Amino acid sequence: MCAAARDSEDQPDDSLTGPLAESELIGHAQAERALLDAWAGGRLHHAWLIAGPEGIGKATLAGRFTRFLLAHGIAGKKSQSAVEAGPSLFGDPEPTPASDAPATSLYVAPGDPVFQRVKSRGHGDLFTVTRGYDDKRKRERKVIVIDDVRHVRDFTGLTAAEDGYRVVLIDGAEDMNRNAENALLKVLEEPPKRTIFLLVSHAPGRLLPTTRSRCRLLALRALDDDNVSALLTKHRPDLAPDEKSALIRLADGSIGRALRLAEEGGVALYREMVALLGKLPDLDISAAHAFSSKLAPPTAVGYELFGELLGDWIARMVRAGAGGRAVEVLPGEVALMDRLAGGRSLDQWVEVWEKIAHLFARAAAVNLDRKQVVLSVLLTLQSAARA
Amino acid sequence: MKLTIERAALLRALGHVQSVVERRNTIPILSNVLLEAQSGKLKLTATDMDLAITEAVDAQVATAGATTAAAHTLYDIVRKLPDGAQVELAQKGENAPLTIRAGRSVFTLQCLPPADFPVMTKDKLPHEFTVTAEELKGLIDHTRFAISTEETRYYLNGIYLHATKEAGGVLRAVATDGHRLARFQVPLPKGAAEMPGIIIPRKTVAELRKLLDESEGNVELSLSDTKIRFAFGDAAMTSKLIDGTFPDYERVIPSGNDKILEVPCKAFASAVDRVSTISTEKSRAVKLAVGKGSLTLSATSLDNGSAVEELEVSFDAEPLEIGFNSRYLLDITERIAGESVQFTMADGASPTLVRDVDDAAALYVLMPMRV
Repeated sequence: MCAAARDSEDQPDDSLTGPLAESELIGHAQAERALLDAWAGGRLHHAWLIAGPEGIGKATLAGRFTRFLLAHGIAGKKSQSAVEAGPSLFGDPEPTPASDAPATSLYVAPGDPVFQRVKSRGHGDLFTVTRGYDDKRKRERKVIVIDDVRHVRDFTGLTAAEDGYRVVLIDGAEDMNRNAENALLKVLEEPPKRTIFLLVSHAPGRLLPTTRSRCRLLALRALDDDNVSALLTKHRPDLAPDEKSALIRLADGSIGRALRLAEEGGVALYREMVALLGKLPDLDISAAHAFSSKLAPPTAVGYELFGELLGDWIARMVRAGAGGRAVEVLPGEVALMDRLAGGRSLDQWVEVWEKIAHLFARAAAVNLDRKQVVLSVLLTLQSAARA
Repeated sequence: MKLTIERAALLRALGHVQSVVERRNTIPILSNVLLEAQSGKLKLTATDMDLAITEAVDAQVATAGATTAAAHTLYDIVRKLPDGAQVELAQKGENAPLTIRAGRSVFTLQCLPPADFPVMTKDKLPHEFTVTAEELKGLIDHTRFAISTEETRYYLNGIYLHATKEAGGVLRAVATDGHRLARFQVPLPKGAAEMPGIIIPRKTVAELRKLLDESEGNVELSLSDTKIRFAFGDAAMTSKLIDGTFPDYERVIPSGNDKILEVPCKAFASAVDRVSTISTEKSRAVKLAVGKGSLTLSATSLDNGSAVEELEVSFDAEPLEIGFNSRYLLDITERIAGESVQFTMADGASPTLVRDVDDAAALYVLMPMRV
């Protein structure tokens, strides 16, 4: 069996699979420094809320910190063998093992046994919580339920397996439903000794204020374009330069989003969408039909992407109209935006944006016909552009 | 890795270790058993990350090595092989599949690297002592029924094992769920005097008891304040402990009770069982009315009616009435091997001491119910 097949099939498959296998982190040096200082200072807060936009490396940072804690243990505590050996006969300075040297980053080499065990979730002192699998409905749950969180209490109720910290890593903390969050709160409020909770969330506002107040907030900012570019080169070396630069601008500082767009053919769809919009106020009806039929099948990935890209596009247009920085993903876009925004007042465009967002949400809730939704969105835009 | 091993030996060892592997696992490596071949031995390890069981068996090792393979699948394969077969386990290179060959059957199993496998402990366990399997069985059997299942007081979800100087030095096991308490003791083994008090989790107790069924002779215990290890010859079990403080249980053992009731154990147990049939509530309460030389057991239920049974007992104090949960009474009488059971009471509302008249090592405390 080749290594690649093993990675995809035999690792637990959830939102942490990628981040726990990633050894490098780009662009969050400041946050990493804050964690490292807290650890070295010997007064590590027991709960951290790692917040920031989606797809910028929050879980990757959490994974790095997890490995670091499990590999280095408690700051200042010497390894057992060093203590047992006692001082040297000849009065030499004691050789410091690698793990006792002052740490300068949270890096743990991929070859390290701790890295391996964390990646396979086979580390006795790591407990991860993500959305579970619903056996009855045969699909992934939409929320983290109380049973997922109750096991945290079983875990923290037992002693550490390898002596040192125990780490509870919750990815998608905002996915916890109220009961689950209350169950977690109980543990957060009376934290067991030497246990670190890492809550990863892109919507910390959805957490209870009581949960937030128990955690030290570590806010990560979106990546800058250079970092996104570097990461794209690393993960998708196959991309053409013009597609890559379009992706960087569409991604808005989120490598996760850039990779997803690359995966789902986001740039091509965006081109088609802008071509359609370019004809406004006179929509090319046959092109609109062809476009909407393409997105209609339930297997087509483009439908949700279209909703997202269009929403962003209108938002950017409004922002540009209000005097903000105009970002041009494709050439000629700014002129198009100016033309459309000039036809109507900006608050009317905001209304259109709301209306479209509402339509997509309703369509998802009651399973409306996708083709009709796309068509009606395009027609809404046409009538807005005409007025 | 390449080795040959007799089917029966492999099956026995796999049977022991695979019982900790849960059938459904979200973490793939936990479904696997770690196989390590070295100098004439095959070492098998399985874990659920809270406890790990290791067993070493003799094997003809041609090439040393280590890998992990699905525990239940491997067990099923070996189980279905014909009796007396010689099984060959072979793996070519680190990530290659594991080949199992016996007679004309050949199986290949996908493997995960041994580096992914959880490690139970790195450092030494400083306190070491030896008890006999019989003593350890006694410590478990007399106390485990009282282990709490309540999640909020998680420190009660296990057996508290500690050494004390009382009674000339004993090793004590205590379990309680807040309504009843069970205590059992054995003479203090050499080397145990300095051990910290530890709480052994319920699951570990259950697995340990299973292993004890198949072993005789001595069990070597080694422990620290975070881990315990039980070694039986070639097999060993290492477990995490409950991270908490066991309550000061001595405080709830009454010392001033003076009303002593002695009843024949078997007759009492079957009478309690019969009478409790009538009570419908979940608690299944039974009332004990004790007078000079006689005990009346009774239960009433608004829906069903009532039941009364009388027993001849030895009792010399003021008459008194007291109620108990019949399930709790039966749990205790089941553990009493002697002819008669002794209740030491104060009044109808205070904790009652229950003892085996023939065995001073066991002691139970039971909280009465209002009936």
